Amino acid sequence: MKHKLQALAVLLLFGVVKLPLEQHVTHELRAQGMLQEPIRLGVGEDLGQAGIAASLGGLRGLAACMFQLRAHVEFTYVNWAKVDSLYKLVTRLQPRNSRYWEEAAWHMAYNAASYYLYKEELKPALRGQLYHDHVKRGVAILKEGLRFLPRNPRLWEKLAEIHTKRTYQFKNAGDAYWNAFQNGGLNYTERFAAYAYAQSNDPDSWQKGYAILKRLYDAKKATPGLIEFLKLLEEHLRIPAGQRIPDAAPVRQVPAPEEGPRR
Amino acid sequence: MSDATTSSAVTKTPKVRFSPQRVWTMAMATVTQLIRMKILAFLVLFCLLAVGAGFAFSVINPEQQLSLLKSVTLGALQIFSIVIGVVSTALLLPKDLEDRTLYTILSKPVPRFDYLLGKLIGVLMLIGGGLIVMDAVLSLILWMRQSLLFDEAVDHLRMEKMDSAEAVTQMREIVARQGLTWNLHWAVWAIFLKATVVTTVALLLSSIASSTLFTIVITFCVTIIGHGEALIREFFFTPNLSGMTGRTAALMLAAICPDLAQFDIVDSVVNGEIVPWAAVLNMTSLAAIYVTVYMFITHLVFAEKEL
Repeated sequence: MKHKLQALAVLLLFGVVKLPLEQHVTHELRAQGMLQEPIRLGVGEDLGQAGIAASLGGLRGLAACMFQLRAHVEFTYVNWAKVDSLYKLVTRLQPRNSRYWEEAAWHMAYNAASYYLYKEELKPALRGQLYHDHVKRGVAILKEGLRFLPRNPRLWEKLAEIHTKRTYQFKNAGDAYWNAFQNGGLNYTERFAAYAYAQSNDPDSWQKGYAILKRLYDAKKATPGLIEFLKLLEEHLRIPAGQRIPDAAPVRQVPAPEEGPRR
Repeated sequence: MSDATTSSAVTKTPKVRFSPQRVWTMAMATVTQLIRMKILAFLVLFCLLAVGAGFAFSVINPEQQLSLLKSVTLGALQIFSIVIGVVSTALLLPKDLEDRTLYTILSKPVPRFDYLLGKLIGVLMLIGGGLIVMDAVLSLILWMRQSLLFDEAVDHLRMEKMDSAEAVTQMREIVARQGLTWNLHWAVWAIFLKATVVTTVALLLSSIASSTLFTIVITFCVTIIGHGEALIREFFFTPNLSGMTGRTAALMLAAICPDLAQFDIVDSVVNGEIVPWAAVLNMTSLAAIYVTVYMFITHLVFAEKEL
């Protein structure tokens, strides 16, 4: 009995002593990027995270993979609501994996949006509405992902692509490409930021775009696209003739229009 | 007077010292015992799972495929190590009692601590050996898939006329980050450390409990709570979050359970993070502390146990 009491005392004493040590190690591992920071999303979300952490332990990655595969199956059945809800679960399980945010947004902004746009059984107004709703959902997913991974160039790039190709909000696209470049994105993201700014309706964005393209031009990094947009911005900003670049705007090769109705 | 001296000499048991060789013999006997229980059949299942995860789902992109392979196989390793650790430890003591092997061993000059340590090391050797084999299989498959997928991805980029030097370099970086790196082995080491702590807890509970089922159920409960211990601890350390009762309950729970989430670096490794030496050192030191203290407590309980 004496040893049992001693054992209980040691267990409790060690239990109390270990807490600050565990706290210190947890903070260090989080600082090293090995453990995830606790996610503060509100009470309900916190409880959800706690439940997930406690019940799945180190198997969250595995569970996320399983749900992702399930979402892929639903994608083949074009069951978009299910795809969205499954990806929501996947991104909750692995909020710091950029790939899942990218895929979730891609499914919504491109696959689901296009599916509804070309679904001929629906009335045209509804098709347009559903298209825009799903594009918005894709943007919302990426913005949510960027709350967890604000320095991820790929997420910024994907957001910029949606704004360029789907919402046509070129100022937002330029800002997103610029953020991608600032956070370690590939060199073309800097150029693309300027191209997007050039296509916007905002004079301040034109100035930003012009500054980027002129700097690249002066650094002898000009491409045909860069020259074309630089010329466009010179026109928009009414740059004096003496300050304009000497190059002629490249001749754009316009492909012959396809036959039949345009989809 | 002389009778009293003789009697005292008879009752006085000679002090048996700790012997690493004896512990090693006990450990090897435990490994043999567990192998005879066909516990390693899981290895074959794992190899099939790794091959399946490695070559199935070719419709998803290279990064996804490699990530999926790592998630599935590392998840299987965690399940393998924890289940084997808990179940085999929970089975060992009752089986030794049932077979009367325990009495044979302890009737010899074998301290109870040597017996316990031998059992623990035996189980850990089995888990460690299994993890090494599975790590080797996983590394081989990952290496094969990595080179195949990179070639496929570059071909795809070429087909779409997007094979600029930048894009190919980016693809190489992505595939390399998701492919075979040292980080993968550190993830396996973290899994081993977690299994070691859980096995020690199982041994502690096994020395208290009288039934195998009790040990298994309670150890799994401790394992689940252990994964959420960080949240309980932070709840305790955050002032004004709860009343006295809530905080006391949180303290008790956090004090009893080890923090197993500290060994959960698998997700970071799957996401392509680099594991620093300091992190490995932190995890290893913490596991060593848990094992030392829990073994000491187990010894205190088992030393007094009536067999």
